Amino acid sequence: MSELPQITTLRAAHSIQSTQPRGRRRFRFNPVLFVVVALLAAYGLLICWSATTSDPDYSFSRQALCVAAGAVIMVAMWHFDYQRLANMHMPFLIVTVVLILSPHLPVIGVERMGAQSWINVGMQLQPGEFAKVTLVIFAASLVARYGGVLDDVREYLKCLVLLVIPFLCIMTQPDLGTGLVYLIIAASVLIVGGAKARYLVGTLLAGIGLVALLLFIDEFFLKYQTASGDWEYRILKQYQRDRLLVFLDPEADLAGDGYNLAQAKIAIGSGGLFGKGLMNGTQSAYHLPEAPTDFVFCILAEELGFVGSMVLIGLYIALMVVIFRIARRSVDLFGTLIVSAIIGMWLFQILENIGMTVGLMPITGIPLPFVSYGSSFMIVNFIMLGLIGSVWAQSAMTGKKGGYATPR
Amino acid sequence: MLFAVLAAICAAVAVVGIIAAIAIYRQKRSNKHIHLNRDMNQFKTVVGTTPFDNPSVASNVRNGGVVVDDGTAKMKPSDGLRGRIAILGGFAAVVFAALGAKLWNMQIMSNEAYASQAEQNLYTTVTTPAARGIISDVNGLPLVKNKVCQTVLADSDVADDNDVTRKLAAILGLPVNIVKKRIKDTSAGAQSQRVVSSEARMRDVAYIAEHAESFPGVSIESRTMREYPYGALAAHVLGYTAQPTEEQLAQQAEGRTIESTDVVGQAGIEVYYDSVLAGDRGQRRVMVDASGNVLDVMDDIKSTQGCDITLTIDARVQYAADALLAQTIAPNGTIGQGRGVAGSIVVLDVRDGSIVAMSSYPTFDPSYFTGSIPTDIWELYQTDEAFAPLNNRAINGQYAAASTFKAFTSLAGLEEGFADFQSTWVCSGSWDGFGTGDVQRCHLHTGHGTLDLHGGIVNSCDVVFYEIAKAFFDHGPDGTGEISATALQEQIEKFGFGSKTGIDLMGESAGRVPTPEWKAEHWRNVPSEAQWRGGDYTNMIIGQGDVLVTPLQVAVAYGAVATGKLMKPHLLKEVHNAEGEVVVTVEPEVVSEPDVKPEYLEYVRDALHGMVRANSSIASMVDGFGIDAAGKSGTAENYGHNDNAWFVTYAPFDDPHYVVACVIEEGGGGSAVAAPLAVQILNAAIKAEAGTLDTTPAKLPGSTGKSVPLSYQSASARDD
Repeated sequence: MSELPQITTLRAAHSIQSTQPRGRRRFRFNPVLFVVVALLAAYGLLICWSATTSDPDYSFSRQALCVAAGAVIMVAMWHFDYQRLANMHMPFLIVTVVLILSPHLPVIGVERMGAQSWINVGMQLQPGEFAKVTLVIFAASLVARYGGVLDDVREYLKCLVLLVIPFLCIMTQPDLGTGLVYLIIAASVLIVGGAKARYLVGTLLAGIGLVALLLFIDEFFLKYQTASGDWEYRILKQYQRDRLLVFLDPEADLAGDGYNLAQAKIAIGSGGLFGKGLMNGTQSAYHLPEAPTDFVFCILAEELGFVGSMVLIGLYIALMVVIFRIARRSVDLFGTLIVSAIIGMWLFQILENIGMTVGLMPITGIPLPFVSYGSSFMIVNFIMLGLIGSVWAQSAMTGKKGGYATPR
Repeated sequence: MLFAVLAAICAAVAVVGIIAAIAIYRQKRSNKHIHLNRDMNQFKTVVGTTPFDNPSVASNVRNGGVVVDDGTAKMKPSDGLRGRIAILGGFAAVVFAALGAKLWNMQIMSNEAYASQAEQNLYTTVTTPAARGIISDVNGLPLVKNKVCQTVLADSDVADDNDVTRKLAAILGLPVNIVKKRIKDTSAGAQSQRVVSSEARMRDVAYIAEHAESFPGVSIESRTMREYPYGALAAHVLGYTAQPTEEQLAQQAEGRTIESTDVVGQAGIEVYYDSVLAGDRGQRRVMVDASGNVLDVMDDIKSTQGCDITLTIDARVQYAADALLAQTIAPNGTIGQGRGVAGSIVVLDVRDGSIVAMSSYPTFDPSYFTGSIPTDIWELYQTDEAFAPLNNRAINGQYAAASTFKAFTSLAGLEEGFADFQSTWVCSGSWDGFGTGDVQRCHLHTGHGTLDLHGGIVNSCDVVFYEIAKAFFDHGPDGTGEISATALQEQIEKFGFGSKTGIDLMGESAGRVPTPEWKAEHWRNVPSEAQWRGGDYTNMIIGQGDVLVTPLQVAVAYGAVATGKLMKPHLLKEVHNAEGEVVVTVEPEVVSEPDVKPEYLEYVRDALHGMVRANSSIASMVDGFGIDAAGKSGTAENYGHNDNAWFVTYAPFDDPHYVVACVIEEGGGGSAVAAPLAVQILNAAIKAEAGTLDTTPAKLPGSTGKSVPLSYQSASARDD
């Protein structure tokens, strides 16, 4: 019976670390990832600067500080061996749930714009954003245990139930946008984690059926008439319906979200090829509320035009290419799943945020990675980068010392 | 909505079905590999991801007997999941391709359409209200001016914001519910901003402007407002301005567009010459943000102030008339403490028909109406005790003409030949010429004795006129039928009675000269009263019964007696445009020259002159002023109330300039009550023309709206 070279190798690699010269072993620098991230963060800050200068409600220096703090956290995470977290899915589930539910706590919880999404601990934070990190680790470690083959119905359902818990928790705030991100993280992990295609398709169909059922119940059983004579729903409120469906018929609600959507599209469309120049945007600056957060892409598209938009998309593509490679090269499935979950999350946020401003997606408040104003999500992004870096560092080390063949 | 959702679900199911089909197809093709991958990956993952693993799991794997050869060991754990990662990669490709394509479409292909929309968004045209023209008196003394006021405006939804309304109330010093009421007021149009305060103090405005972020939806505008330096002086002539009524917005005159935020004339000269006084609105193209804040002014067409109006009113004479009426009727501001309950004085320049003064009491201060009228004053003015201060009695007060009518009815008698210079009648104090037993009395119950027509006018002897009336009756359809039933009325109507004078004011009353047809129509439901009788002649001939005249009509008609020409009265003298050039000058307009023999006119004038001379108190007053006046008193029966006192006079007798008509409601005797007022104002007009009047116009208050019952009653029905 042959030895298990991987065990020894890995453990050896672990122990080798201390015996090897520190400077070379401790930190493996990935220059391509670093350059892409630096460019992306700088570009994001540039747009944020243009978006926040005219608006005293937002502080550019605070955002810059967040980026700096994020960079420090990223480097620290890079050093950390993510594999130590591999078997801790239950603790991470508990942490995730506690984070998501923390805004409901009496003292620190803050209600803002009709949602219990914030806590105040000296500074205002969105724990739902930080929960994305713990959710990624939890989901990856949960599914990684099956070793890439999840073909048992009971096991699959068990995973599914555990993965849906964070979504159900965030819906108590309620925050549908973040909830959808959670679902995408879960879906990414299940898809890449080797869940049987039949199960995935079945889950999707069941999900669609469930939504249809809820709408059906809402329409025929729970609908009631308000004092003003309008019909109101209990599960999905009328304003949420309007918001989700306004992109299908932008003329329907020209005073509310339809107005925002129309103004966002005018901002983007009027940008043209090269834009109106930084700080020269009129549309997004005067006609779009919350421009630096949810509608930040409009500022970029208006002021820097199609070229500026493509630079951002190009940087995103570059980032994706780099981290896809990291996902492929990971020494273990856990690392692959972590990176895949992050890829899914970022892709979805990019799609949703830009998609809603151009009228491709329903309007929900999801920030644009590395660009949108907001400290919580900016720091979360860098933690994610730190995790990716950690996966890369481990694979790079074992790749050198561990006898894996370099894949093609 | 439901249909859209169901359609989306169907589409989603179809897409999922296709994906599933592809997935199953791929699975079937690569079945073999999957088996291999599973074993390998399971093994590696368990090892690779469990540093704290318990040994049983590891041994379990070991016991599974996984065969690892060098070739597979060199593969990454993710290699077997290459297809799965590719799905994620495909998703990424779709995301970026879709976004890129959409952005290309919007920013390159449709750029022009969006750019023009952005342009439209950016600029908006605001109209700036124009200041109204100034109204001044004949000597150029401004009676209505403009002042710049800071107006606080609020969007309608501010009413729901308790925080902002409370702050506004505190700063403007208004009760919160008043602030909310004003913001909810839709009278200026549902879309427009609501006026919270039209005359905010400068420091309050500054505070709101500095803390604009705490007052969302609140804005401040400079507006010009009407200012009345002399208060209630000539209030009924000037009228007032206010926000347009629904009616005015609905029916706008040609060439004039009224916006709900405009200020338009509502009464008097302000409404009659509204299109002259209103200027041209300015237009400003400005850059605005989403909340409508002006960021930059692109171009600015200044508004042009409306044309200025010069009236024929002489403020000094007007002041004398207004002050005298107020002093006579309500010396302490309360009606009932003086003589009468209301009154009017009209001063007409008989040479060209211009109105020198037009006074009506009780009166109001037009500044009440700028901004919004205080509800307490408005409600007070609607009560009976206030005696309708907004009513211009000079053109709307309709009274029995009483003995002032005798000048015209005597002319009628002369013209029809029922009296001549030699005719005489005997007055015994009572008269029953129709033999009905219904005895009519002369106001002098002891009788005037034998009188000719001159004496009849001078003494205002009713019996003389009853006799003339009887002659009309006897020769009419009920007698010999030589003249028509309306022969008397036709003579009277030569002097403009029964029709509007055509003065440049809205809503003038026409008065009434009763005819058989009118009476039949008026009493159509009471046939016993509808009959035209001899009594109708006798009533009409002494200006009683169903006769109604306005003070202005009386003044114009006496002007015609004095000069032989019936003039169209007018208040407008000149219009100046914004550059100060005279653009309109009103020319005197003769309505008609009453078809009356000149010697008859001369005869009546002489009798009117004699009337003034015969009354010792009037004569001494006229002599005291050094003017030679003619005139006629009248005391109109006012059923259930004191008599209305009339006096109408003109001077100089041989070259008439001015005629003054004065009526005091419930004042009592015409000679005793109305004559002193009329003569004083006549003197004022003549002295003003000569430049020797030392009256200076001052600010007059509006009526208090209070009254007490009159403390006296006129002793007899009529004293002349």
